[in-house]
Amino acid sequence: MASPLQSLAFEGGGNEALVLRDFRLARRAGVRGPGASDLLTSHGLPADIAPNRISDQSDRGLVMALSQREFWLLHPDAAASSQQPDSAALAAGAWPLYCQHSHAWLMLSGEPKAAMMAKLCGVDLGDGAFPLGQVAQTQMAHVSVVIAHHDYQNEAVFSLFVDQSLAEYAAGALIDAMSEFNQSGI
Amino acid sequence: MTRGRLPAPFGQHIDRERPVTFTFEGETISGYAGDTVVSALLGEDRWLLSRSFKYHRPRGPLSLAGHDANTLVQTPEAANRLAEELPAEDTPVVTGQNYWGSLDKDRFSLLDRLGRFLPVGFYYRAFFKPQGIWHFWERFIRAAAGLGVANLAVQPTYSDKQYLFCDVAVIGGGPAGLNAALTAAEGGAQVLLVDENPYLGGALTYHRFDTAGTEAGPCLEQLRTAVTAHSGIRVLTDATCNAWFSDHYLPVFQGQRLFKVRARTCVLATGSSEQPVVFRNNDLPGILLCSALERLLMHHGVAPEQPLVVLAGNDAAYRTALTALDAGLTVAALVDLRPGANDPALTSALTEQGVPLYTQATVYQAEADASGTRLAAVRVHACSDEGTVGDDLAHIPCGLLAMSAGYMPAYQLACHGGAQLSYHDDRAGFSLSNLPQGMLLAGSVNSLHSLEAVCADGRNAGRAALEQLGLDAGAVEATECSERVNHPWPIFKHPKGREFVDFDEDLQIKDIINSARLGYRDIQLVKRYSTVGMGPSQGRHSALTTARLIARATDRTVSDTGVTTARPPVKPEPLGLIAGRRFHPIRRTSLHDRHLTLGAQMIPAGSWRRPGFYGRPEQRLAAIAREAQAVRSGVGMIDVSTLGGIDLRGPDAAEFLNRIYTYGFLKLPVGRTRYAVLTNEQGVVVDDGVAARLGEDHFYVTATTTGVDRVYRDMLRWNTQWRLELDIANVTSAYAAINVAGPNSRAVLEAAGCDLDLSAAGFPYLACREGQLAGLPVRLLRVGFVGELGFELHVPSLMAATLWDSLMAAGEDYDLQPFGVETQRLLRLEKGHIIVGQDTDGMSHPGEIGLNWAINNKKPFFVGGRSVTILAGQPLKRQLVGFTLGTGAPQPKEGHLVLRDGAIVGNVTSCEYSPTLDRIIGLAYAHPSDSEPGGSITIRTDDGVCVAAEVAALPFYDPDNARQTLCALKQPRPAWPAPCSRWHSRAAATRLWF
Repeated sequence: MASPLQSLAFEGGGNEALVLRDFRLARRAGVRGPGASDLLTSHGLPADIAPNRISDQSDRGLVMALSQREFWLLHPDAAASSQQPDSAALAAGAWPLYCQHSHAWLMLSGEPKAAMMAKLCGVDLGDGAFPLGQVAQTQMAHVSVVIAHHDYQNEAVFSLFVDQSLAEYAAGALIDAMSEFNQSGI
Repeated sequence: MTRGRLPAPFGQHIDRERPVTFTFEGETISGYAGDTVVSALLGEDRWLLSRSFKYHRPRGPLSLAGHDANTLVQTPEAANRLAEELPAEDTPVVTGQNYWGSLDKDRFSLLDRLGRFLPVGFYYRAFFKPQGIWHFWERFIRAAAGLGVANLAVQPTYSDKQYLFCDVAVIGGGPAGLNAALTAAEGGAQVLLVDENPYLGGALTYHRFDTAGTEAGPCLEQLRTAVTAHSGIRVLTDATCNAWFSDHYLPVFQGQRLFKVRARTCVLATGSSEQPVVFRNNDLPGILLCSALERLLMHHGVAPEQPLVVLAGNDAAYRTALTALDAGLTVAALVDLRPGANDPALTSALTEQGVPLYTQATVYQAEADASGTRLAAVRVHACSDEGTVGDDLAHIPCGLLAMSAGYMPAYQLACHGGAQLSYHDDRAGFSLSNLPQGMLLAGSVNSLHSLEAVCADGRNAGRAALEQLGLDAGAVEATECSERVNHPWPIFKHPKGREFVDFDEDLQIKDIINSARLGYRDIQLVKRYSTVGMGPSQGRHSALTTARLIARATDRTVSDTGVTTARPPVKPEPLGLIAGRRFHPIRRTSLHDRHLTLGAQMIPAGSWRRPGFYGRPEQRLAAIAREAQAVRSGVGMIDVSTLGGIDLRGPDAAEFLNRIYTYGFLKLPVGRTRYAVLTNEQGVVVDDGVAARLGEDHFYVTATTTGVDRVYRDMLRWNTQWRLELDIANVTSAYAAINVAGPNSRAVLEAAGCDLDLSAAGFPYLACREGQLAGLPVRLLRVGFVGELGFELHVPSLMAATLWDSLMAAGEDYDLQPFGVETQRLLRLEKGHIIVGQDTDGMSHPGEIGLNWAINNKKPFFVGGRSVTILAGQPLKRQLVGFTLGTGAPQPKEGHLVLRDGAIVGNVTSCEYSPTLDRIIGLAYAHPSDSEPGGSITIRTDDGVCVAAEVAALPFYDPDNARQTLCALKQPRPAWPAPCSRWHSRAAATRLWF
């Protein structure tokens, strides 16, 4: 699987600068349906996460709620599952979502990330309006995106989930928008 | 002549250590860094800057605030640029515009003498009769119209947009805005302060608020320091807020960026526009507003040597005269329209310095020098408050006239929000009311003019903003300002005219009055008829005068007459800023790299990129023929990942599909597919696909590449009403899809390793299965879009490349050929299959396109069913038919017209040369009477050549469907597990990976 960033001349900047990383190879899956929250509970995961919130489950990764019956399970430090997906129900009223296949996962870090994203996205992603744990399902550079604000390796980051078919386009738009912030970057 | 630049505190904006030069009209002009093009030109006593729009009269600076058209110039990059906004340092070449010959000697200035033949509404009246006369004059008028010249070779610059979010947006960085921003920020709000000037301070940077001139400087210093140091305030200078939209959505442009500001509250501290006095030749270069002279002195230190006359309608003009005296200018006279100054100290200060005062007097006429391009003298007459002119009092030689008839609030942004601007005849003043929720006013836009009142009003606005944000606001200060700044009638008609009301449009007093005489009583009609206020200054200096003139001409008060409506934008803005950075999303399938490796020529399909064919562009037709031949005689495969995919799960999934699509789905067996046609409520076919029943409560539905988003949206919308028990998920990107088609397709799949029975008996036509292929989980649909035995393989998208490679390897022995979209279009056309969107349009209903067979008339409801039934009961107006032509005939193109007795009855929707049939084949809308096979239709091709095409029965190829069904056998319904609950589950165990 190729990184959408591979063909773009991108280098990360310093600690102050913005860094865009490709997590397409990291593990993610989803579950959806009226039985989705019961399924999470049966696995010892919190199912009471409000929609558009993301919860850090420590070594079990992140649980992101996109609605009351759709949850994404994200593990930035684990490789994508080699298990073949099966479209059959996971439990009564709970079906798998092929997040690994449907959505690319990019991660943006660096202090001016909200200011940079304001060039591409109409949602206020500043800390005041979009604190840690918040999720926005919105548009970025004219394409749909899910933006999650969470900690990763002791740093606040934005995880960006865009349609897999748009991964290269989205990465290009992000890197272009980053150029004015990254003196040592692109 | 100028006396060189003035020392500090004059010339605050220039760096005297950094001289700069540029050329204007080919002449080298010297100035300093910080100079604008205008200030540098005036520094060299160059006052003629432009020619007027209609009469080509000489024009010089009026406002020096970027609020008028008198300083429009041309640069190599762009026309119509405001010279006071162009830094001299960054603008090496400047020329005038709108002249014939030279700026100084414009041959078009002859038009000024022909003014009597160019009355108001000239264009409307002169070219109305006789019919067609406009076409004669149009070429001359268009050649003369416009101001500058667009550089069509200029390279576009990079523009982009950015959102900005804040609690309080303060528009205007003058004393009111600075106080409002500071108060709001100190109360805990995040503040955005926007100012169109390069420096904060507004009038504090140039205006004298007291007789001694000691108040403004310290006030500016204190406010500017506090604001710039405050972490809660973001300052945007050189930035223009060009509109106010609902919920405080503010477009602000700065440089090459358009900020889309989202504020919770908005404080308008936009100030006010100084008003000119209207008298004969009030447009001569050398006549400018008092504030413009103050800017020239205080910002740029330019001090003309010629004597100055000040024409005052208020006390502020007296203070301008005092500032001019401080700068060493010769003030030849102060002419006051009123009986005298309200503040006696001002009168004393001027008389003590020997300035002659003329009260209850006006400049009745300005006179030009020998060149006709510069003020040389003014004639002063006695006057009354009603505009009547009395005795000739004096003839005063001068090169400079500064005037102030009053101030009009910069009301544009407030009016964008629906605010009402009211004029009060008793005090000749304005007020703004009916402000939208969350909009606040501060300062002179709120009709306050003393510095103390303006600052207090700013602080109050900051407090009001805090209160609206739910923050602690503190006590409101009292604000009072009794200063009367507007003269009630600063308009002095002259028998010889040339008293300009609107400088942009060259409109005189008589033009406005004549508009009323012609019946245009309403101020909005006057605007449209006369074009007053429609130039770049957007009525800033003409709206009030026009209202006064119309009020008098129609025997009404000014308040009854009103002023014209202000609409966005406030100032002209480059189109590049509105366009911003261009975003053109491009979608790539997970097989994109495979296609490139195989030499595919990629073509757009909506936002996707798909292979058109494989091979070199110059061999396009041969490549398509080769690929088609492979599918017809062997096997081919095509990437159809762009097809939409929607999963519908739940006990009501079948019922939902039954309501959405035209066909019946309640009894569709598990393991079968059915063609699915979607009509809208008007009965128009809007999409189609295949619905595969994978389980009792699980359907997988495909939709067209460009239609899936709409289909998904419609499904969600309908189920919001129906509230059926099912889940709808758009899984388009989760699955890639490959269609393997051709007589050997089954063999290739078997060679790739499939755990399903692929035989005709085990996997009949229109069946669907889930299984393993090449070790991958695959949904298989046996469909025949291209008219051959075929399997559509849907696989999780990141596995598509592996599947593709496996199929390519397995197909080696069968000479498997990948084929592209162009080949697919040919093959499906041979089979007579339509493409929704290509062979249909916004009017196509099932009866027109031969899809009545896909309608289930027995079910009680489907979306659009009622309309389809009604349409079916009416005679057809057109019908989609197949046609053929011999290979020697001109090949019609999509869109070519179908004619019948010379009338248009339809158009060609698809047309290709079929190598299989060795004929040109196509689909076209034709008159229903011509739809019988064997008949003929007339198609007008390129260059008007008409061809007679033979109507053919569809499909053109394999009419018995023998090839795609290939020994189809009726199969028993497969055994699937029974539902274990209303929400069906067939999972033995959960398989979450974490």
